[in-house]
Amino acid sequence: MSLASDTYFLFVRALKKVMRNPILLFFSLLQPIIFLVLFTQLFSRFVGAPGLFPPGISYLEYATPGILLQNGFSSALQSGTSIVDELNSGMLEKMLVTPVNRSAILLGRLLSDAFRVVVQSSIILVLAYILGFNAASGAGGIILILVIIAFFGLAWSGISLAIGLRTRSAETVFGIGGFLTFPLLFMSTSLVPLKAMPDWIATVSNLNPISYAVNAVRGLSLPSSALPGLGLSYPGDIISALGYIAAIAIITLGATLYLFRKVVK
Amino acid sequence: MPETISVQDLVEVYSDGTKAVDGISFEVNEGEFFGFLGPNGAGKSTTIKVLTTLLRKTAGKISVAGFDIEKHPEEIRRVIGVQSQETVVDPDLTGRENMMLEGHLHQMSGDGLKKRVDELLTLVGIADVADKRAGHYSGGMKKRLDLASALVHKPKLLFLDEPTTGLDPQSRAAIWGYLSKLNKEEGITIFLTTQYMEEADKLCERLYIIDQGKIVASGTPESLKREVGADSITMTLENSGVATQTKEKAKEVLGAIQGISKVIESDAGITVYARNASLIIADIVRAFDSNKIRLTSVNFASPTLDDVFLQHTGRRIRTEELNTKQTSFARFGARRRPVRQ
Repeated sequence: MSLASDTYFLFVRALKKVMRNPILLFFSLLQPIIFLVLFTQLFSRFVGAPGLFPPGISYLEYATPGILLQNGFSSALQSGTSIVDELNSGMLEKMLVTPVNRSAILLGRLLSDAFRVVVQSSIILVLAYILGFNAASGAGGIILILVIIAFFGLAWSGISLAIGLRTRSAETVFGIGGFLTFPLLFMSTSLVPLKAMPDWIATVSNLNPISYAVNAVRGLSLPSSALPGLGLSYPGDIISALGYIAAIAIITLGATLYLFRKVVK
Repeated sequence: MPETISVQDLVEVYSDGTKAVDGISFEVNEGEFFGFLGPNGAGKSTTIKVLTTLLRKTAGKISVAGFDIEKHPEEIRRVIGVQSQETVVDPDLTGRENMMLEGHLHQMSGDGLKKRVDELLTLVGIADVADKRAGHYSGGMKKRLDLASALVHKPKLLFLDEPTTGLDPQSRAAIWGYLSKLNKEEGITIFLTTQYMEEADKLCERLYIIDQGKIVASGTPESLKREVGADSITMTLENSGVATQTKEKAKEVLGAIQGISKVIESDAGITVYARNASLIIADIVRAFDSNKIRLTSVNFASPTLDDVFLQHTGRRIRTEELNTKQTSFARFGARRRPVRQ
């Protein structure tokens, strides 16, 4: 009973905090928007290279899922800074002397992170639509895309929250998050198809969870005729991606829960 | 009167081996305004953290509001209000939202909560800025908001960890006003820690003086001061920091003066206690003069709680505090100056 209501109130609080710092929100969106506009211009002619991309696909259509997920995990990687702030400001202690449900503190935070990623993804999708992107699977597909990104974000939030709880340092969270973002992004199929990669990067990409999530989103956004050319299948990729995301989430959120229990004792 | 807090032989050892609290026992009665007075690092905050279920005790037997601290922490959290030493308000929420959230986390809702929040915002005098973000409040206003949010759920028992540290005299007086009112009119039991003897003297019905994790004295402020039994004369000597010889000589001279009951040396100078201090000052000055010991200041005062502390520990509460504050302040100022230009 109090888990649901406490989670709700803490979720609303976290959302208010995000909405009242529009500058932060703006800058966290700036990078994916620059990527969207810049990369789709920069790489647009590669699409013509023989054999790399299936025919009839623009680079915008190819890269938008990658940029959506990049935004999802890079903003999730920063979510640990908020728990560091709660720890160091004394806000967590202030909550802990109330009868608040302990799990609600974490759950409210995670849900607001997921919600934020959905809002940001929607903004990116609108911008991509203006530039000519269209999801082949329609409105239902877009909802499913947002769900996948939200779950993907949740899994990555776990890593960030665990680092924040363990180190109690916002700089460390930022540092590790920033360090992870680019290798993970470029060594995945987010921006470049597997066929265009050197072998060793292709190997890493095949292990990279981001590739799986990207493949799932592509399965929903690209026309089904284009999927075989990229080595994708529908709906098989979505199912395996969800499995992959669930496995990551169990590990990262499990670690977070363990560390949080230790802090709360 | 039933006791609402009972602590027996509380020991708190941190994981690095520091013994923050070293076997203290005390009781707080229902409706009482009870205080812990002591310098920084005495163990005051640690005790509060244990009593408010934030920190697990190393050893001892504790009950709060009739509940065992280990077995029923949730029950305790329902009936206590806590204001920690650092002011904690959410800067992105308005004052009202901060308080509503606190109410929600105590399972309050609806018109009852709204009314309670309005009432408290008015009580602490921030109703006019209630819908502005707390981040824009002054330090005093944040502190008052923090206090008000500890009261939303009508706690029976209020824990205040140095509620006025760092406040200007005006805000301090205002907070003293609310606290007295809460205790007298609403019958809330208050457990307060402070390093300000004036605060302890003014507010607390009963006091424990704590130093280095141990209780050194206890009683009503009046009885504690009466225990000192004499007025104090504090003097500083020229070059007193350098020449221990002079200090020794001075103590010898003082020892020979009739009527002085005690001589204590501290970093603030030499303090002597005497029943009729006003008469003895002349004797001291004369004796020092004939021994060529030069005085830079002589202060004469009725006994304060600081004298109680000094008699029990050989140190003063205040001098150390003020010194550390001034240095950090000066450093802060120096760092900021180039930025301002």
